[in-house]
Amino acid sequence: MASEAAPRRARRRFLLLPALLLALPPFLDQYQQYVVNLVLVYIPVGVGFNLVVGNLGQLAFSNVAFFGIGAYTSGILMLKLGLPWWATLPPAGIMGALAGGAASVPALRGVRSFYLAVMTLAFGELMRWSYIRLESLTGGSMGMAVPSADVFGWALATEWRKFYVFLALAAATVIATDRLLRSRIGRAFMAIKDNETAAAAMGIATSGYFVLGFAWSGFVVGIGGAMFAVLVGHLSPDSFDLIELILQFAIIMVGGLASLTGSVLGAVVITATPQIFANFPGFQELIFGLLIVLVILFLPRGLASLLARLHPVFRDQYYDG
Amino acid sequence: MLIVLPQLIVGGIATGMLYALIALSMTVVYRATTIVNFGHGDLVMAGAYAIFVFTAGLALPFLPALLLAAGLLFLLGFGLHRLLMQPIMSGPHLSLAMMALAAGNVLRGAARLEWGNETLALARPYAQTSFLLGQTVFTMDDIVTTGAVLLLLLALFCVLHLTPAGKIIQAVFQSQRGAALVGINVNAFHGVMWGTGAALGAIGGALLALTVTLSPDIGVWTLLRAFAAMTLGGFGSLGGAVIGGILLGVMEKLLGFYVSTAFIDITAYVVTILVLLVRPQGLFGRPAARRI
Amino acid sequence: MTAEAAPLLDLAEVTVRFGGLKAVDAVSFAVAAGEVCALIGPNGAGKTTLFNAVTGNAAIAAGRIRFRGEEIQNLAPHEIAARGIRRTFQNGGLFGELTALENVLCGLHATIASGVAGVVLGAKRARAVERAATERARRLLDLMEIRHLEDRPARELSGGQQRMVEIVRALATDPPLLLLDEPAVGLAPPVRAQLGALIRRLAKETGLGILLIEHAIELVMNVSDRVVVLNYGAKIADAPPAAVRADRAVLEAYLGHG
Repeated sequence: MASEAAPRRARRRFLLLPALLLALPPFLDQYQQYVVNLVLVYIPVGVGFNLVVGNLGQLAFSNVAFFGIGAYTSGILMLKLGLPWWATLPPAGIMGALAGGAASVPALRGVRSFYLAVMTLAFGELMRWSYIRLESLTGGSMGMAVPSADVFGWALATEWRKFYVFLALAAATVIATDRLLRSRIGRAFMAIKDNETAAAAMGIATSGYFVLGFAWSGFVVGIGGAMFAVLVGHLSPDSFDLIELILQFAIIMVGGLASLTGSVLGAVVITATPQIFANFPGFQELIFGLLIVLVILFLPRGLASLLARLHPVFRDQYYDG
Repeated sequence: MLIVLPQLIVGGIATGMLYALIALSMTVVYRATTIVNFGHGDLVMAGAYAIFVFTAGLALPFLPALLLAAGLLFLLGFGLHRLLMQPIMSGPHLSLAMMALAAGNVLRGAARLEWGNETLALARPYAQTSFLLGQTVFTMDDIVTTGAVLLLLLALFCVLHLTPAGKIIQAVFQSQRGAALVGINVNAFHGVMWGTGAALGAIGGALLALTVTLSPDIGVWTLLRAFAAMTLGGFGSLGGAVIGGILLGVMEKLLGFYVSTAFIDITAYVVTILVLLVRPQGLFGRPAARRI
Repeated sequence: MTAEAAPLLDLAEVTVRFGGLKAVDAVSFAVAAGEVCALIGPNGAGKTTLFNAVTGNAAIAAGRIRFRGEEIQNLAPHEIAARGIRRTFQNGGLFGELTALENVLCGLHATIASGVAGVVLGAKRARAVERAATERARRLLDLMEIRHLEDRPARELSGGQQRMVEIVRALATDPPLLLLDEPAVGLAPPVRAQLGALIRRLAKETGLGILLIEHAIELVMNVSDRVVVLNYGAKIADAPPAAVRADRAVLEAYLGHG
């Protein structure tokens, strides 16, 4: 019995990791704190994206659309209705989930693989066009200034205040998704990716899990969008273009497909480094493109596979215990 | 309102011809290798920049520059396949799609680093005149684009149907397994087809560059329209890609004028989404059999 | 008594069409509880198509399929599976990235009553049912003496091990009917013999009804109570193994096709 309980206990130790991070802010300057916060934004974004692409195995390019919908939902509700930021989190998640549900419809109708990719790519561009055209809501191509945010009256006036809130949200996303993946739901996703017919022969209602997978993805990515809105303070359609898509792909592919650890690792590596080159237009595309090429050729399971070799605790597990 | 109809159709066909050519160049790659090249738009973009460099930088006349650009892109396409795609051909579709997309991003990033902040325009190798036929204006741009694509299509048709090589290509398009059976070196064939697709795309890029300002993003812009054309005509159908492209060009103009200017931008996206939802096989494709 | 009198699975005049072609042509037969029924025939005779019709993966053009007296031909595959018809696949239907244990847990999917909210919030009940399922999956692996494989990804297992895990997975919920699609393919003769013994034991000791597609004719003759022979989609024989072996029509069907 001791050997069975061991991985669980080892996993508990990971709960200490965010706790260690709590002491981080005093050691960082303003800009470094901003980058850390950006990493925390991209944790839910990567986690949600990886669920659809890695776990459910669907070639869906709609993640940037979920991200933008979450961000604009939050921004618009604050600006137009005067809602406090914390109150926009649930609607941002729900709008993302609805978009996710919509994005699962083609998959339900048998659209797969390259076709799904083409279709979701069009969906993402259509959304970006909407941000530009729905000027009265979104501020059009000039973008919109996001009002200052607070959590139950506690103003997120500094980077380190945002940091604590973001840390809690990112941790909640990871824990919730971890639980989902370790249940029959996570197993159903993996089964569908591998062999839909065999999955159905197990009594798995595949359509339901398509909708659930996409909707959950949209939900957490939408939350990520709301975090992004308040972090950058200004939303513009350019933030949700194809460079953003390649960045999000880099996160999950470099981190490791179908790996929660990988999503987190990818968010850290991909978000933090290229900030250095943000001032050279084109450099990010070049770097992300190269990284993805290299990972596919030489490390197809991403950085997470290296960690999994170090310790079994990093291996993805799809049952409780 | 109706009086502009012929004008809209003429303009739509000219634009549609470009979509048709680029969709066709993607279809060639897709039929030969069963891979959708998500980086193809960036090859088109690279072709446009290549001809710019050859004409403006090296001061070559337009036609030699065009041939040189097509040749260069053939090599680039061939090389991309050999170095990046061939090693993962047996892998999942996700890897194949991402590899092509990522390679395209490298090209786009490089172009943006080099020319991102400049507004570049290709000098036309002809006078920018126009003719009046009845009430309808034919610009030289329309005529050149349409004529060039038609010539190219005719040449392709002849190659495919009248030459021995064309017969082999057609045979492989019919059945991948047949290719290995008749003793074709499949890898080399795939490489040549990637090269051919890229070269055709480069010509499309060069024609595109005659009428729009160069930007690293024209590749992606084209890609999405080529996808719409392929979807409309039926993914994998050569004729469908051409007709889909022309239809898309005309639809953009008509919907844009008669319904809302918004459609100039979004027709391609709406068409892609609707067709895949309602009639995934497109106008001319057969429904794909799904295996258990 | 009535339950025993009615067959477990009852096919009546089942026809499956692919375009103009009748892949399965008005086939009728039944499988009783505790019976091993083999389905044989030359390649392309419609055996797997008939399986797919029973499991809901192929729509039938005519006829009825009854399971425990209820018509199932209009149900979705996952509903049929949940009612207790489980199958294995010709080319192995294990989920390669999941471990042996996780694969068996997939077999238990329909019996695990945990919902999204309970799982995400870490509710006691959801965790308890998940844990109980894990324990059950481990016991099942133990029963087949393959517990030591539980943490190995399925794609890393040998062909014989994969077949065993797939059978454990199919039987995890104690279904009344099991469909085996060429379970002996690629197995070494001794493993094949073990498989035969297992099939026999399952049927006789637990009352499991088994419908078996198999090309290994010796295995078929050894384990089956009854053999149904298909040719060009039509049933040409339905009799005990010894009788089928002597049947002229069957011999012709096989010899005629090489």
